[in-house]
Amino acid sequence: MGRTAPTYRQALEERLRRWDSFGRLLTTPEERAAFERIRLGARRYVAQATYVGSPDLLESILLSVLLDLARQLPPPAEGAAHPASAPRAAARAR
Amino acid sequence: MPSPRWILDVTEEPDGRSLRIWLKGRDGRVDEQVVEYRPPFLVDGETGRLDALAGELAGDPRVASVERCAVRPTLFDRRTRPLLSVTPARNPDRKRLAGELDARGGYVRFTLYDVDLAPAQLFYLERRLYPFAPVVEEGPGRLRALEPAATLEYEAPPLRSVPFAIELAEGRRDGIVRADDTIRKIRLGGIELEGPEEELVRELGRELARQDPDVLLTSGGDAFDLPWLYRRAAAHGLTEETFVLGRRRAPYRPARRAASYMTYGRIVHTDATYPLVGRFHLDRANSMLYDDAHLDGLVDASRLSRLSLQTVIRQSPGTCFTAMEMAHARDEGVHVPWKKNRPEGFKSARTLLAGDRGGVILLPPVGVHDRVDEFDFASLYPHIMVRRNLSIETLDCPCCPRSPVRAPGLGYRSCTRRIGLIPRTLGPLLARRLAYKAQAKDPARPDAERKRYAHRVKMLKWILVTAFGYQGYRNARFGRIECHEAINAYARELLADLFPAAEAAGYRVLHGIVDSLWLEPKDREHPPDPEAFARAMSTRCDLPLGYEGRYRWILFLPARTGLGVPNRYYGRYEHGEFKLRGIGSRRHDTPLLLRRFEGEILDLFSRAPDAPAVRALLPRALARARLFAEKVAGGDWPVEELLIAHRVSQPLVEYSVFNEAVAALRQLAHHGVVREPGETVRYVIVDRRARSWRDRVRIAELLEPGTSYDRGAYLELLARSAETLLAPLGVGRSALLEEWPEPPGPPEGRYRSPEAIGQRRLPAA
Repeated sequence: MGRTAPTYRQALEERLRRWDSFGRLLTTPEERAAFERIRLGARRYVAQATYVGSPDLLESILLSVLLDLARQLPPPAEGAAHPASAPRAAARAR
Repeated sequence: MPSPRWILDVTEEPDGRSLRIWLKGRDGRVDEQVVEYRPPFLVDGETGRLDALAGELAGDPRVASVERCAVRPTLFDRRTRPLLSVTPARNPDRKRLAGELDARGGYVRFTLYDVDLAPAQLFYLERRLYPFAPVVEEGPGRLRALEPAATLEYEAPPLRSVPFAIELAEGRRDGIVRADDTIRKIRLGGIELEGPEEELVRELGRELARQDPDVLLTSGGDAFDLPWLYRRAAAHGLTEETFVLGRRRAPYRPARRAASYMTYGRIVHTDATYPLVGRFHLDRANSMLYDDAHLDGLVDASRLSRLSLQTVIRQSPGTCFTAMEMAHARDEGVHVPWKKNRPEGFKSARTLLAGDRGGVILLPPVGVHDRVDEFDFASLYPHIMVRRNLSIETLDCPCCPRSPVRAPGLGYRSCTRRIGLIPRTLGPLLARRLAYKAQAKDPARPDAERKRYAHRVKMLKWILVTAFGYQGYRNARFGRIECHEAINAYARELLADLFPAAEAAGYRVLHGIVDSLWLEPKDREHPPDPEAFARAMSTRCDLPLGYEGRYRWILFLPARTGLGVPNRYYGRYEHGEFKLRGIGSRRHDTPLLLRRFEGEILDLFSRAPDAPAVRALLPRALARARLFAEKVAGGDWPVEELLIAHRVSQPLVEYSVFNEAVAALRQLAHHGVVREPGETVRYVIVDRRARSWRDRVRIAELLEPGTSYDRGAYLELLARSAETLLAPLGVGRSALLEEWPEPPGPPEGRYRSPEAIGQRRLPAA
């Protein structure tokens, strides 16, 4: 395993190393901390991304980072229209 | 009918054309029989070419006979084909002759079979015999086994096993040995022989004849005792004929030379081997199996694999498994290809990416948890191979294009018409392990018997573990990479399926690795019944899921990133046992100091009934750590407890950096000792800032009780160990180091040795 092509873990770490230079030109501590959070988010879902086995590395990374950010959002308030239900409601109205 | 005797071993005779069978009777007597035996090997190729080859070989003096035969050489052949059967004049020439024929065919036109099986192995298979078989003689030289090799309950021959060791003058053993060091003492069983060396060696010969053991058990005999003894015997004019450790003469040179090789991502070293004839030399230090499997497990594996006990103990369990596959294949008339001529099938990049993946490995939540239930699949991968019929010849077979059994995500089909070689080999092994496991747990049996079964279980476990890895091994005779991929694909699907099932049963998934699950009840007051869950899942997946136990508490430990590490945790089950993974006590290089420290912390936590109690014990854990730190900083920790073991990864000359391990290797080299990659050096850090190999460390061989050590270095190691164990409780290494006593710095203006200049590396350009 990992002989034919690098594993997702290996590919991810290599890509994150490439991002190092991006981080070096960040000038405020807030930005740097946020950048670290993004990298952590990418690493958090290696198991899930490996399971998908997508040939598109960036797809897996972005999905991981997005999920990591989304899980930190406050849950939608009670009674508020769930975004997913909106189109269906519109269809019913028609 | 004469009472049965057991086969001990079958060895090759020096004449190159016969074998010697060693038989042991119930009365302890050992008999020998010599039978003429020259096994042929097979050559496959176009008929015209085979005819030409037969003509060329007819007059060759190295060939005893060439015959045409009709066989079904491979697992893929459904009917017989004409092949050439070549019998070499001398058994030891088999490989050389076969290599030459292969070369004549340009390495592509001929396929050769049965070349590199040992003549003894072929003898066993052809005569339906096996090592340690109870046999009766049915005529001159005709032995018949009284039961098949796979028999579960058998009586093993009573083997007389004695420990054997030599000691050099001045008690050198682990120290640095000089070329002219003499032997001062020899231990054989309960007897200690002493005296002038020449007399001593001769006395050993007499003592061996008197005790007549079947097994010489050594610890390091391959690396040290036997070669040294042979060397000293030769120095006194004794020869292979006059000084013999076995029951007959064996060459003084090693049967196989020492080697370093890479396996599972690390370098390992195996010593040269010195087997005996008619008597077994078992070196526990040159074996990865002895300490787990003992004689009981090794004898069991020897029976099943048809390999000599001396081979089984020195080889990896994978070799045993391959030999078992060969036995099954030969049983069905299929022959063993010499070189695997099966390149990987052509695949798209997408399939390659999809296939080349392992099992599911989650990152566990860092912290202390309690009431955690752990579940494991027993021998998951072998079971998948059996249940899904995964084997070299059953995957994507031409006979079942519509097979419903397909590897998830990859689509490889499994045959539905016949059972493959791998499942046929593994199925009985799995059943055997289960049967022995039940016996080992049976309280009605006496302790000694239960231990014997437990040893066999351990050995079978190792064999089953390697069975999977060998599917992906490039040189495995009956391996196929697609099988390896399919097994992983089924295993991934299994866990993905179990996670929602566990949630539906009232669990929250904490952690999962390939074949293990750690689950936490959603409702702590009404936790699900774990045994019922295991049973339900076993039925649902058609694979045996077992309940390992509930943890009183378990700590999942973080990596530097702060995320959990899959294989780094420790905890205590409700039934009292600990489970430790990835912490210092599990590693081979950890100094005793750190092992002691970990032991203290685990001992402290052992009384905690749940997670809050573990957190409450943190102040006491920190106080213990401080006590350790004070003693280390005081400079009077016993140095032998500070030894660090380092596995050498490359030859000394190839190291381009200077570190502790390099300094230790240079100290050894200075005394004429070379450590090969895969071997270990052990040293104490003396001054981690020293630029000279003389001052930086002190190797174990030169250690004296008063040797001073680098207190700062060991404080740092201690802090790192404390951080590893306690990080989930908020402990960091730098904070510890600040709180702990400061070690005294190096004395002002100390003279540093002149090598320092030569060893300074040039600054990077």
